[in-house]
Amino acid sequence: MRKRTMGHRIGLAIASALTALFVVLPIYWMVSTSFKTDAGVSAPSPQWFPNPISGGSYTNAFVDNSFGRYILNSVVVAVAATIIVLALGTLAGYALGRLPMRGKFTTLMVLLMISVFPAIAVIAPLYLLMRELGWLNSYQALILPYAAFNLPFAIWILRNYFLGIPREMEEMGRIDGANPLRTLWSIILPMALPGLFTAGVFTFTACWTEFLMALSFNSSNDFRTIPVGIALFGSPHITPYGTLFAASTVAVIPIAVLVLVFRKSVVSGLTSGAVKG
Amino acid sequence: MSTDRAATPPSLTSRRTLPPETVRKKDVNRRRMARLGWYFSTPALLVVAAVTIFPVVFSLVMSFSNVQVLGSGFQLSGLTLGNFHTVFGSVKWRYALGFTVLYTVVTVTVEVVLGTMIALVLEHLRALRGWMMALLLIPWSLITVISAQLWNYIYDPTYGAADAIFSAVGLGHPVILGSNASAVIAMMVADIWKTTPFVAIIVLAGLVMLPGDVYEAAEVDGSNGWQTFWRITLPLLRPTIALAVLFRILQAFGLFDLPFVLTQGGPGYATTSLAVLGYQAMFTNLSFGPGAAVAVTTAALVVIGCILFLRVFRAQVNEGEES
Repeated sequence: MRKRTMGHRIGLAIASALTALFVVLPIYWMVSTSFKTDAGVSAPSPQWFPNPISGGSYTNAFVDNSFGRYILNSVVVAVAATIIVLALGTLAGYALGRLPMRGKFTTLMVLLMISVFPAIAVIAPLYLLMRELGWLNSYQALILPYAAFNLPFAIWILRNYFLGIPREMEEMGRIDGANPLRTLWSIILPMALPGLFTAGVFTFTACWTEFLMALSFNSSNDFRTIPVGIALFGSPHITPYGTLFAASTVAVIPIAVLVLVFRKSVVSGLTSGAVKG
Repeated sequence: MSTDRAATPPSLTSRRTLPPETVRKKDVNRRRMARLGWYFSTPALLVVAAVTIFPVVFSLVMSFSNVQVLGSGFQLSGLTLGNFHTVFGSVKWRYALGFTVLYTVVTVTVEVVLGTMIALVLEHLRALRGWMMALLLIPWSLITVISAQLWNYIYDPTYGAADAIFSAVGLGHPVILGSNASAVIAMMVADIWKTTPFVAIIVLAGLVMLPGDVYEAAEVDGSNGWQTFWRITLPLLRPTIALAVLFRILQAFGLFDLPFVLTQGGPGYATTSLAVLGYQAMFTNLSFGPGAAVAVTTAALVVIGCILFLRVFRAQVNEGEES
C-alpha cells in the first residue's frame, strides 16, 4: 500500500467529511423541517434547528390528510409487484440460464432493450387499455405494469446467479427422481438466494419511487401512491412543506431500512447492470 | 453473453463419444427440457409483452395516425406523417430536445467526475467505508418527487435556505426558479445531489476489484499518485465508468419527475424535457397524435443512442461484465 502521511490522513478526513455533508445536509433539512411549527417552516430567516420542536406536521399529514392511506397503497402495490416479479422471474431466469432452449440469446436481448425503454413511450396506450378494462384507480393498474417493467432486470440478475450454480446440483435432484420444478425449488433456489434479494430490493425500490404511471393511472385520492400524494398535495400557490416533509420522512424510513439491511445485494445489483436507479 | 456459448460445448463433445442409442435418448431429453424452458418462461414473457410490446406498437401506430378524441374514446384514421411534421416543426420540441441533451451531457459529466472523486476518497477509508457506502445509498433510494419538493423548499424565494445563504454572502435575493438559466442550473444541482452517490458506488465497486499488484509496480517505477491515477487507475476503470455513463444517459433522457414537480417545465418552457412535453401534449392538451410522436421519437433516440454507445464501448462494457 501507499504510505499514509499525516497530510494524507487529514486530506482524507476532510474529503470524507465533505462527502458526508453533501449527502446528509438536504436530508437533515427535510427531517428538521418536518419537526418545525408552521411559523418555523415559513420563517423569513431559516431556523437551522427546529425551535420549538413540534409534531404538528405529523398529525396534519396522517390524521388530517390521507398520507397513511398513500403509504398503504404504496406498500400494497410494491409488495404485490415484487412477489410477482420474483415468482415469474425465477422461472424465466432459470429457464433462460439453464435449460437448452433455442432463441435464448435473442429473448434476453429483447428483454434488455425493453428495460431501457422510457416509460413515456407506453403511457398513452396503457392508459387507454386500463380505461377499457375499467382499471383506472385500482391496485392492479399499477401492479401489472410495475411487474412487467421490472421483470427484465430481475430475469437478468437471476439468470446470472443460476449460471453460477454447478450442474451437478441439478443431476442430484434428477437422480433422486424429483421433478424439475421441485429441483428448482428445493435445490437451486436456496443457492440463488442473494440473487433473489437483489432482484427483490431493486423491484421494490423501483415500485416505491415510480411516479409517471402512478400519476397517469391512479390519481384519485383513494389510490394515490406516496409520490403522487406528495406531488399533488397543496394548491399551486401554497405548498405546506411541514406536512409534506413529515409524510416524506415516514416514507423514507421503510426504503432506507430495506436498502441498508440488503446493502450488499444492492451494491452487487448496481454493479451487475442496474438500469433503474 | 459469452456464457451461453460456453454452456453448449460439453454436451456436443459428450454426444460424439456416446453410442448411438444414448444419443437418441439424450436428444429426446434435451427436447423435453427445451419445452420445459418455454413453459417456465412463458408467464414472464407474456406479462412483459402485454405491458410493453403491445403499447409500443400501439404508440407507433398512433404516431402515424390522425387521432380524434371523442367523448367515449379515440378514433384513429388514416396514415399520416402529420404528427411528426407538427412535432419536428415546433419550436417547443426543438427546445425540449436541446434542453434534454444539454441536461444529460452536463449532469452526467459532473456526476461522473464528482462520483469518481468520491469513490477515490472512499477507497482509502477502512472502518468507515461501509458506513459511507450506506450513506450514499440513501439519496439513490429516495423518491425523486420527495427530493424535488425538498429542493423546491430550499430554492423558495422568501423562506428558502438557498436564499438565506445568497443574501448572507451579498448576492441579494435572486428568484432562483424564476429565470431560465438559474432554473436550469438549480434543477441540475438537484439531480447531481441525488445521482452522484449512485455513480460513486458503481465506480467504488470497480476500484475495489482492481488488482493490487499494478499499484505496487507503479510505486516501484516511482510514479506519483497523480501519474498512477491517469496512467493506471483510470484506464483500468474505463469499463466501469462506461457502464455508469450508459445507465445515466438512459435515465436522464427519460427525465420527468424532477421538472414536473420542481418547475412544471417552467419558467415558460425553459425546463420542459422531452418526457414532460410528451406528457403535456397527451394528458393536458389531449393531442394524442403529436404526443405519441414525441414519445416515439424519444424512445427511438434512446434505443439508437444505446446501440451507438454499445458499438463504441462494446469492448469495455464486455470487459466489465466478465470481471
